[in-house]
Amino acid sequence: MSAPVGSAPLPHRSVANIRSPPGAGHHHQSGSSTPLRPLPSSFGSPSSLRADEEIIIIEFGTRKLQVGFSGDPAPRGCVWFGPEQQRRAGDFRAWQTDYRQDWRAAAAGGLWGKDHELWQYDVRGSDLGLVGDKIERALREAFTKYLLIDSRPRRMVWVVPSSLPIPLLSAVLDSIFSRFQPPTISLLSSPLALAVGAGVRSALVVDLGWLETVVTSVYEYREIVTKRSIRGGRTLVEQTHKLLAKHLPQGQSEPSHSQDHVVSFEECSDITARMVWCKPRTASDTSRISNDGLATVQEQDEGESQAHTEHRRDGSVRIPLRSWLAPTTLELPFEALAEPCEDAFFDSQYSPASFDDHELPLHLLVYRTLLQLPVDVRAFCMSRIIFTGGCSNVLGLRGRIFDEVSHLVRERGWDPVQGKAVEQLRTNPKSRRRVPRQVASQGDESGSEEEDGIWHDAANTIPKVDTIDEQLRRGADEIPPVQGEMRAIESLGAWSGASLVTHLKASAVATIDRELWLQHGAAGASRAIDVDYRTQRQSLGAGGLIRGSVGHHTNWTLGIWGAL
Amino acid sequence: MAVLTPYTFIQCPCSDSSTLGRPSDPNSSTITEADEDERTFDPRAPRSNFSLYPLEYLLYCEDCHQIRCPRCVSEEIVTYYCPNCLFEVPSSNLKSEGNRCTRSCFQCPICIGPLAVTSIETRPDPSLLAAPDNTAAPHSGPYALTCSYCNWSSTEIGIQFEKPNSIHAQLAKLRNGGSTRLTAKERKERRKDPAYRRYQATSSGEGESDQTENLDLETQFANLKAFYQNQLADPNSADTGLAALGDLGFSSPTSLSRIMSIYTGGSLQDRKAKSRLGAMREALKPDEGLQFAHLDESAAIETLRGEGHDGTASITQLVDQPPNLGEEHLHGRSRFISELRPIPYLLRTKRSKRCPVCRHIISKPEAKVQTTRFRIRLVAGSYIPSIAIRPLSLSATAGGGGSSASGATLPGALLEPLKPAHFLLTFKNPIFETIKVTLGAPAETPGRFASKVTVLCPVFEVDANTDVWDEALREGGATGGAGSGGGGEKGERRRGRYDEGSQANNGNQLEVGKIWERGRNWVSIVVEVVPASLRLDQGDAPLREDEDVLEIPLFVHVEWEGEAGGDDVLESVAAKDKGGEAREKRELAYWCVLGLGRIRK
Repeated sequence: MSAPVGSAPLPHRSVANIRSPPGAGHHHQSGSSTPLRPLPSSFGSPSSLRADEEIIIIEFGTRKLQVGFSGDPAPRGCVWFGPEQQRRAGDFRAWQTDYRQDWRAAAAGGLWGKDHELWQYDVRGSDLGLVGDKIERALREAFTKYLLIDSRPRRMVWVVPSSLPIPLLSAVLDSIFSRFQPPTISLLSSPLALAVGAGVRSALVVDLGWLETVVTSVYEYREIVTKRSIRGGRTLVEQTHKLLAKHLPQGQSEPSHSQDHVVSFEECSDITARMVWCKPRTASDTSRISNDGLATVQEQDEGESQAHTEHRRDGSVRIPLRSWLAPTTLELPFEALAEPCEDAFFDSQYSPASFDDHELPLHLLVYRTLLQLPVDVRAFCMSRIIFTGGCSNVLGLRGRIFDEVSHLVRERGWDPVQGKAVEQLRTNPKSRRRVPRQVASQGDESGSEEEDGIWHDAANTIPKVDTIDEQLRRGADEIPPVQGEMRAIESLGAWSGASLVTHLKASAVATIDRELWLQHGAAGASRAIDVDYRTQRQSLGAGGLIRGSVGHHTNWTLGIWGAL
Repeated sequence: MAVLTPYTFIQCPCSDSSTLGRPSDPNSSTITEADEDERTFDPRAPRSNFSLYPLEYLLYCEDCHQIRCPRCVSEEIVTYYCPNCLFEVPSSNLKSEGNRCTRSCFQCPICIGPLAVTSIETRPDPSLLAAPDNTAAPHSGPYALTCSYCNWSSTEIGIQFEKPNSIHAQLAKLRNGGSTRLTAKERKERRKDPAYRRYQATSSGEGESDQTENLDLETQFANLKAFYQNQLADPNSADTGLAALGDLGFSSPTSLSRIMSIYTGGSLQDRKAKSRLGAMREALKPDEGLQFAHLDESAAIETLRGEGHDGTASITQLVDQPPNLGEEHLHGRSRFISELRPIPYLLRTKRSKRCPVCRHIISKPEAKVQTTRFRIRLVAGSYIPSIAIRPLSLSATAGGGGSSASGATLPGALLEPLKPAHFLLTFKNPIFETIKVTLGAPAETPGRFASKVTVLCPVFEVDANTDVWDEALREGGATGGAGSGGGGEKGERRRGRYDEGSQANNGNQLEVGKIWERGRNWVSIVVEVVPASLRLDQGDAPLREDEDVLEIPLFVHVEWEGEAGGDDVLESVAAKDKGGEAREKRELAYWCVLGLGRIRK
């Protein structure tokens, strides 16, 4: 969209630079403002100047890879990682009729489902070369099958989870740089791309992923706080397996096989994707009695469709199972299919205190992330909640999390302190009288992070006329940004966000040059702070510029992925 | 258990980590690199699956004298085509229309069978009696896509077509259930339409109704893109009102506007400052791409309750679905069979392949879609010796063991643990030079279960692949010099082999260092293996998939003398006849894996 500000001019830019030298804008302006960008509209059409250059955007997930060209609304192809992919070329056993009968052998040794994953974040003892190989093969498949491109080197933009460990990133970069020879690879973090894909500058991204659920708050295109929980898709599938195992006839399954899995991963994940749903939040405080909420839903249904009534009456679902000892059809009550979700994500039968930091139930995770944020950031983030990830496909889960969090907020407010003592303090009329005074005095003294304190601060600052604020207010459009209310918005997805970013020619903080990578590897990356990314600091808005690719890469960084 | 036929896989030398650009992770690979040379290749390591190929998958660069596997060739696209209608697609279309066939080629979303366009029979109504009318217009009325394999029909998802052709375009305008939608192009046109703009203005005045508009993904993306572009372009063009002219490139109106802005100052500058300071705001309306999430999914849950397992699509069916840009974010509602859509066929390509080092073409198909011929194809099978594996039974020496011998030679029979078994490896030389083969195999196979391996004759020569007729003529002529002598010798050898075939126990003893059999351009040698026992101790990890297959890593080193600068096979034959003035010693070395059979558990 725009040309570099006084950077080394690319050949095709030179005309623009002649017309308006970088300093030209300063003549008529107060010196402090950004220099005028020359003729951005002349680069508005992506096709005119760089028609031949397609940038490939790749989103890496634990279970799949999405690939497409920048400027497309959706990825062209999606490749799932699986055991078939890890076989030798020319191994066609997947087409044999009795294939997968011996899934138990394949799943032996705690590998149930592991071969469907690209990586584990715990890199101890993992074969990094294997990760590189898997990626390479998946990419090759994607390129030949979906993108239909030849093997000329192309620039790449990767959408990578921001918590990806450096060894993994390094292994993948190694593999791709040596096999596909892209001149540069830019890294975008997926929460950021999601925010762009939703059209917002700040967001709370709830990524219900496979390995873990990550809640990231993005404020003004920067990641502020990230919290994680191991409750993800894998947990859900395991809980589904538990449910199936529970409902299978016990006598045959348990004693004969000492193995811990009775149904194959493929089948189990299939059932999870098809049938598992999530109950809505029960209105009453008596935690897990769901009859109430469901009764109302049933009534509503009767009005709508008569055809489904008999199904609903018996309330059971028949699920065919093939990978069990003998193919069978399992009959489960429909309600039971909500249990895995309940156990995997909420575990509401336990008290919040019983969870470890890495296994917080999702609603607590979201709530605590919000709680940890500064007040103004929280105000923005809570009204821009984006749900994404594979498990956001579980029917009702997004709504449930949202309701649970809203409930928590209503119940507790934004008070990080809770417990019996606090309750007592609140309910006790004697102590209540004392509370306001305490808070007020605290707020005056320290202006701490406590909610009330900030509120007072804000009150104090209002009278002061802040020129910058004033200008900002004028710059902002008529509609004030929504803040302070709980609201969920929809994002196009990280891939599409990255496609937008790249299409708009905003540069990534972490852009890795092939030559430099092959020389130094990850060790050559400097910390993000040490790199002069003046252009990036102005964020997408003002500084969405292409960096002149000449002298800039001498000092490069992996951005938020860190440095060795 | 599947019967296992013996197999050979070859590891392309390109997957040696040392040849790959940078030595990977410095801290992890220093140890492995130190003993890189002594390291035997472990066929069971998970990584080796990615570098092993059957001989048929490999190509060969004649100039670099190197094997080229699918990972180490650079590809160029010759043709894009639809595999269903075999129509060639120009590459420009690919960019604009995507990677799928835009004609009427669709796959069934249930079973991926090809779909056919059929007219929907009208209900038995009066027209049925009026037979002549029916025959007059046999293919009228609405059409549907039907699968002849599973009887799926697009009417099941409520989609019918008016015309029997250009189904793709029609489908793009239809939602599941039959309601229409605007395609991106139409929406663009609609936006230009002044009447629609007026409507927009009034409706946005009403306010809230606009907020709840559901955007499909394509529209949301387009709106967002327009919004961002607008925001980014704002500082320079929005204030002058000459944005449209600015789009023309380096046209004078823009520079004029710039000059204007320099001299007018005042309010104009103010607005400029405003827009620049405001950096970029976020999207606020659906028009700008903001979309609220609909978190209430109770309706979908009720549908799930009603439909049950049968009403939902399996994972594989969902994976096959192309991204449906015509819908809003489905978030799991795409799970129902009623949400599936016919899959337009993915286009395919014909590719020519080049050696990445010397840029010579090593494979080039005919450009025409219908032909399967290749102009150039240098398959590795015609350059490196092929290895065939056959079990060998020696137990026939024991008189009554005939049946057991036949049982052992049966391909795919299980190998008895701890009992020596013999296999015949037949190396066949495809090139017109005599090759010297040196084999190296570890004494014990790597992995948990170490079987003992002995290659009885690791060094041997295989004669050149002379023309069969050549040889036959020479034999028949029985004149001439050295050539005929050699031919005769070979003939005898072959006859000898037939004799062996008829009387299997011809005192054919296994001798170390001796070739078992030899033919015109092939040599058989014997490998003795003692399969390991697969007994698991208590606490051992259970047997993994294919861990019971006896696989031998074998390092093959081939040496031959070739034409110095000759890049043609035929030339080299001619040179051989001449006596070979400029000979050059060539060698090729690679690991391969021999899968011999399953070991009895």
